[in-house]
Amino acid sequence: MSALRSYGLLVEWQALRLKTFLPIAILVQVLFALGIVLGYPLLFPSMDRTTILYLATGAPAISLITIGLVGVPQMVAQAKTEGSIDYMRTLPIPRLVYLLADMTVLLVTVLPGVVFAIGVGAVRFGLDLQISPLVVPAMLLIILTTTSIGYALAMLLPQMLANLLTQVLVVFVLMFSPLNFPPDRLPDWLATIHKILPIQAMGEVIRGTVAGNAFPVSGGPFFLLAVWCVVAFGVTGIVLTRRG
Amino acid sequence: MTSVLVIEGLTKTYRGGVRANDGVTLSAEAGQVYGVLGHNGAGKTTILNQVVGLLKPDAGSITIHGHDVIADPGYARRACSVEAQSQVPINGMTPRQAIGLVGRLRGGSAGHVRSRSAELIEALDIGEWANTDGARLSGGVKRLVSFCMAAVVPGRVVILDEPTNDVDPVRRRQLWAQVRALADGGAAVLLVTHNVVEAERSVDRLGILDHGRVIVEGTPAQLKESVSHDLRLELVFEPDGEAPPMASFVRHVARNGHRIVGTVPAAMAGEAAAWAEQLRQAGRLEEFSLAPATLEDVYVDIVDRAESDRDGVNRSGKPSAAGEAIDVRPS
Repeated sequence: MSALRSYGLLVEWQALRLKTFLPIAILVQVLFALGIVLGYPLLFPSMDRTTILYLATGAPAISLITIGLVGVPQMVAQAKTEGSIDYMRTLPIPRLVYLLADMTVLLVTVLPGVVFAIGVGAVRFGLDLQISPLVVPAMLLIILTTTSIGYALAMLLPQMLANLLTQVLVVFVLMFSPLNFPPDRLPDWLATIHKILPIQAMGEVIRGTVAGNAFPVSGGPFFLLAVWCVVAFGVTGIVLTRRG
Repeated sequence: MTSVLVIEGLTKTYRGGVRANDGVTLSAEAGQVYGVLGHNGAGKTTILNQVVGLLKPDAGSITIHGHDVIADPGYARRACSVEAQSQVPINGMTPRQAIGLVGRLRGGSAGHVRSRSAELIEALDIGEWANTDGARLSGGVKRLVSFCMAAVVPGRVVILDEPTNDVDPVRRRQLWAQVRALADGGAAVLLVTHNVVEAERSVDRLGILDHGRVIVEGTPAQLKESVSHDLRLELVFEPDGEAPPMASFVRHVARNGHRIVGTVPAAMAGEAAAWAEQLRQAGRLEEFSLAPATLEDVYVDIVDRAESDRDGVNRSGKPSAAGEAIDVRPS
């Protein structure tokens, strides 16, 4: 059977399995994006133009990153505990098709929130958006990378540890990654680390493809992200085919 | 007949040192239901997980139609359809949807899968719940749905891990009929169970697993033959009555409440029946039965002997979990 057919059927399987959960997840994603765009100005009533721009363009990136790094490990850890991962692995389906099917379902979940965050940010702060077609590969690279990392974490770690780690990752992504603020506000050592980690690059490719006039983006972040994507996808492939 | 699935010298030790399989050798033929019996933790599920490539053996070989599936687990997944021991969560979808999707994931055409699903749902009498959300199904119905998922587009090897758990007695019979139908359709069915009584009626061949090793292998009749030619005598006396004295030819006597079970040499069958009937007419017994030893008797005996061999202790005559041993007093 073709991988494409398996992919379509698995997306259908996951969508059915999560059909009651998906509307809530979509709503949470919308509220989350809204919270970042509208909530931060309450904390900091007077913000300069740069800060506002970072906030409005950081929110969609944060949504995309957290669903992969937090949502996926929680989803996979639960499926692992229930035994459904083991069952699904007895079906004649190429391993990475599972990952791609889950990624697709997550993309559908997170997309309304992302679009909403961009729109609300533009309206609220009177921004001129300049959306490039490159926003599509940018989002796909992000979601594929974070989903792969999330999958590998959940498969390799016990459920408790995976859940704990996702909480730490949320704090790290939200507070200590240059998504909602420029990297020069970070201490030097952390800024250096972020030049290697994919999070900053994720923020930059989103910013550069939705507000290219304010944040011109070069090929560098795309390249770094592509490397992370290939490595994460490869590692997850090994983890998924591994036999105990 | 040719062996479809051949397992030889399969050994698997888990991290932590538990040896779950220790040189397991067995084979299943097309058209045959092969039962793997054994106590909890005997290593039954570990065998299945190695066949479908979820676990990697430390030693030994597994072939399906001569194809090495340890080297090529993808082949095993195409060749085997599986009902796992744990419930597959199908919350959010109906049994019909879940069975249909698995059938198509196993390569069945939409039309064939639709008619085959309907056939299985009808045969197992679960039509009432066919369009109910999986979250609202009872454990037994979920189990039957899992079976349908393995049977909708069956592999050349069909692996069933405890398929009758939680299933009501009437549907169990229907389920066994479908298991037989899978074998009649040409599949080699590898069936794990600890329900010895049902296995006796339903499997063509079986292996008894004890602490990771196949301690005995054969048809149910061969196994019973190998152990003894004795008959099983069961006596039931009144709940507040006194146990009747035993005849000298009744051996291996065990008592559980007001029920006494023992064995009688086949040659003494007539005498034993007459003796028991006499007791019944005298009001000492409510009822009695004299029948060939069941596979369960044989199973308990074999496992008990294996245990004794391991411990170096003769356990016969010791109280069993099911009943307490009583004195054998000639009448």
